[in-house]
Amino acid sequence: MVELRENEIRILAALDKLDGKAAVEQLMAECELSDAAVMRSALILQENNFAKVHAKLQTKIKLTPEGEIHAQNGLPERRLLNSVLALGGKAALQQAAQEAELEKQFVQIALGWTQRKKWAIFDSKKGTLQVTEAPKEDNDEKILGILCATEETIIDQFTAEQQVAVEILKKRKAITVEEKTQRILELTQDGKQAIEAGAANLTIGPREVTQLTPELIIKGEWRNIRLQRYNIQAPVANIWPGKKHPYLAFLDEVRAKLVTLGFKEMTGTAVETAFFNFDALYTPQDHPARETDGIYYIKNPAHGDTTAYAQAVKHVKEVHENGDQTGSTGWKYDYSEQEAKRLILRGHGTCLSARTLLSPNLQVPGKYFSIARVYRPEVVDKTHLSEFNQVEGIVLDENLNLRDLLGVLGRFAKEIAGADKIRFKPDYFPFTEPSVELSAYKEGYGWVEFGGSGIFRPEVTTPLGVKVPVIAWGLGVDRLFMMRAGVSDIRSIFSQELSWLRKKEVA
Amino acid sequence: MPTIDVEYQELEQLIGKNTCRELFGNPENLRVEALDDKLSLVKAEVKEYNQADMTLSIEMKDTGRADLWSAEGLARGLCCYLGLERGFRQYGADGAVVDVHVDSKLWGIRPFISCSVLKDIHLSDPIIRGLMHLQDKLDKTYGRDRQKTSIGIYNFDLIKPPIEYTAVKPTDVRFVPLGFDEQLNLDEILEKHPKGVEYGHIVKKHAYYPMLFDSEGKVLSFPPIINSNDLGKVTEESRNLLVEVTGTQEQTVQNTLNLVTAALIDRGGKACSATIHYPNTSEYKQKIVTTPNFNHHIVHLRVDYTNRLLGLKLSAKDIAELLLTAGLGVEKIGGNSVDVRVPFYRVDIMHEVDVVEDVAVAYGYNNIEPIWRDLPTTGSERPLQRTINVARELMVGAGYQEVLNYTLTNPESLFTKMNQKPTATVEISNPKVVTMTCLRSWLLPSLMEFLSVNQSVEFPQRIFELGKVTLQDETRDTKTRDEDWLAAATSHANAGFSEIKSCLDAFFGNLGVDWQIKPASHPSFIEGRVGAVWVNAVEAGVVGEVNPLVLEAWKLENPTAAFELNLQRILELKKAR
Repeated sequence: MVELRENEIRILAALDKLDGKAAVEQLMAECELSDAAVMRSALILQENNFAKVHAKLQTKIKLTPEGEIHAQNGLPERRLLNSVLALGGKAALQQAAQEAELEKQFVQIALGWTQRKKWAIFDSKKGTLQVTEAPKEDNDEKILGILCATEETIIDQFTAEQQVAVEILKKRKAITVEEKTQRILELTQDGKQAIEAGAANLTIGPREVTQLTPELIIKGEWRNIRLQRYNIQAPVANIWPGKKHPYLAFLDEVRAKLVTLGFKEMTGTAVETAFFNFDALYTPQDHPARETDGIYYIKNPAHGDTTAYAQAVKHVKEVHENGDQTGSTGWKYDYSEQEAKRLILRGHGTCLSARTLLSPNLQVPGKYFSIARVYRPEVVDKTHLSEFNQVEGIVLDENLNLRDLLGVLGRFAKEIAGADKIRFKPDYFPFTEPSVELSAYKEGYGWVEFGGSGIFRPEVTTPLGVKVPVIAWGLGVDRLFMMRAGVSDIRSIFSQELSWLRKKEVA
Repeated sequence: MPTIDVEYQELEQLIGKNTCRELFGNPENLRVEALDDKLSLVKAEVKEYNQADMTLSIEMKDTGRADLWSAEGLARGLCCYLGLERGFRQYGADGAVVDVHVDSKLWGIRPFISCSVLKDIHLSDPIIRGLMHLQDKLDKTYGRDRQKTSIGIYNFDLIKPPIEYTAVKPTDVRFVPLGFDEQLNLDEILEKHPKGVEYGHIVKKHAYYPMLFDSEGKVLSFPPIINSNDLGKVTEESRNLLVEVTGTQEQTVQNTLNLVTAALIDRGGKACSATIHYPNTSEYKQKIVTTPNFNHHIVHLRVDYTNRLLGLKLSAKDIAELLLTAGLGVEKIGGNSVDVRVPFYRVDIMHEVDVVEDVAVAYGYNNIEPIWRDLPTTGSERPLQRTINVARELMVGAGYQEVLNYTLTNPESLFTKMNQKPTATVEISNPKVVTMTCLRSWLLPSLMEFLSVNQSVEFPQRIFELGKVTLQDETRDTKTRDEDWLAAATSHANAGFSEIKSCLDAFFGNLGVDWQIKPASHPSFIEGRVGAVWVNAVEAGVVGEVNPLVLEAWKLENPTAAFELNLQRILELKKAR
């Protein structure tokens, strides 16, 4: 006894009806089954030795949308030729094309092919076409005719000349050629016997179902069916889950680290006064960084209002001009309060530290940080961005010194960059002295410059009314991110490549 | 920060070939890292070493240390840290061989001048190239692009002192400028000579232009623009040179002259002085100045201040030793102080703290033990950050990819392509590229741009950005305010109003915000498929299907629905409730 399902029995019956041999397509039509269902049953029948599956490679051709036009209306060269013939065997190209109602894009093609097929002579000076012969229907036209009637056709039996015509039509993008395996089922001896013996020898197995439905579950019908087995290794559709942007997620991590290290976040606006971006940080008003190729100036509104901190402006002016009470020589020039009001796009996050130092809510001891979008008039390339983010901050307390500064940097290198080793070098900022550059070493990455820092100069702290030492630091987080993300182009941070964002692993 | 080019063999020659080979290897096989290590002590860094012509490109981080911007200066700076010298070199100049008379008209134009003469110098091609390079760097950075100071160097043998520094009407003088073969008047020079075009703006605002003549009326130069072709050309044959610096600030003018003269002394030149005679006016007060001036000055360095700043326990004697290593001098060692001699070329030192840093560098940053003090502070993120993170997580949960865009954009993207009439933005006066001329005033254009460059990527595409917009605000000191906004867009063949409204419902529901949608009109969206978002009787956003006109402008091929919220306002309203 062999257990077959309904589908297999239907196919056996159909095969019997079709003289014991039929293509899968025929069986699909006969049994009203899908391609996949017939194939599944075919394999089961083969396993039980009731039928054999033969595979045959076939070449098929099909019309393209353009081919359809030609199949319907005739090839453009034929249409043109007919039109010239109708006009007496010689006519101007324009006129003939018009008469033939040739679509604009086909005129040159038609002309070309009348020449190639030697159907007519074209006088390029006069623009006239003279028919040389009135040819009969060619192979290419015959094939189009077949396709017009049948949609697709198998060409394996085509003659050599017909094959050439197929090639030409393919090049003319009138048809597409595809290879397809045709499968044919043939009853075996066993199969024939089984049919003759009748249904008595075959038991119908449970109905096979692809989709388990609520109905099947509720009614309990699922007990009487067999759920089709899937090819679980077949590829499935893509899912692109929503994700945080990798760089912003990285900044979240940095922010969280800084908060656990006891730092408070400072905020401010992209537009800043030159006072906080430069003057309060002891950058003289003629400093090259303030040239138009160093900082973006705002056109409208061009100037801000510094009256809320007029007193600080006065002290900063003194410090720039003569050092005021700080023991410094100052920069020795005439400071302009108007220049201090100029609005710019902040060029670094340090302006936020300057604002914090001036704030009445400043706490001592205090630790502050900011993650600020900053702007520089750079042409964007592999190593430069016109806007990017800076992570910066300050630490202030009585008796802080260079050792504390190195300690803060060391802590950052370990906690944020996961560095194995660190190294310090002298650095320079107009607003800090001494200044230190931090390099971090990480196995597999090598040495990376990871931060710049220093102790604010007295010319910075004194005019802002701060009496304790202030450690100022900034971290090269962009470089750290690039290192981790394995990218070398800084533009990747603001990458608009959706496929990169989708594929970037989160871990 | 300036980048200087130095021919490595010049540096070898100035420091000592054997020392250099031992430390850094042969020029053909230079150990750049070893050199970098030493350069870091003077805050310099090799950007590039061109093996072919053995030229170093070195970045000088310290914009104040103009003394280092030449092979001579760099060698001088390094010699101490290499242990080849202690303290600083003495430079001297012989008595005055030139008198310079200054015209009172120059006050308010370019009032100051310094001068020196170098005798018996042998210039090689690389030395001349180096000298021109130093001149260029000093003019550019220290001289603020010749505004503040500019340098002229001449063949002294062709000049008949005394020299007259005067101011003339632009059309009163004609001479052949360097590199030209015809006489031009000063206005013509500003118009035709490349240097005139480049620097003309410095003098154009004045009725009189500065000029330097010798006693026979021959033109030396038209400062700060160009030398004369006859006298202002220096070649390998020139044995005696005249150096002059003019400018607007007396100290900077003197410093610049000192730096150039010292570099030439390092090259074997013998310096002689010049006497500058300023006129008898109320401003100039008939002052007489001798230049160059190689005198050092004294900085009183407190030992306790130094130790407090560095966290070290150095004695005055320790500090004195470190100062000598750093290339500074010691005048007097006291109990709690050291009187430090600062050589004339250390133009960067303006405060005791600058000397303290030199002590630390000489001590070695890596010899100082870092400490971490647990200060009693409480960390916190900015007030809105927590809710902002929740908002981002909700959008991620709804299947939207977070994106990050530039805040710099242009009115075409903000308005034209969004089918809107332009309104005021925060605009930049010196944009670098036409696509970045203002700050964004809303986010949706950024999302449209993002979608437009991803048309070949698999759909559906769902993206959001939570970021800053900048708006004008008269009440703030910066006349602007930044706000955190949120925009999201869904783009695919079946995208539509109900999908985006579902998303918004879910978003507000989970955020605990009651919202209402009211019919509205918005040119960026399809009429009848757009609504205004209201929270607590305040309009705070828009939601709808994007207008096909906008889709076309951005070349988007799929229906797109989007919303944009003033999230900051909404969160504040929620808090207030």
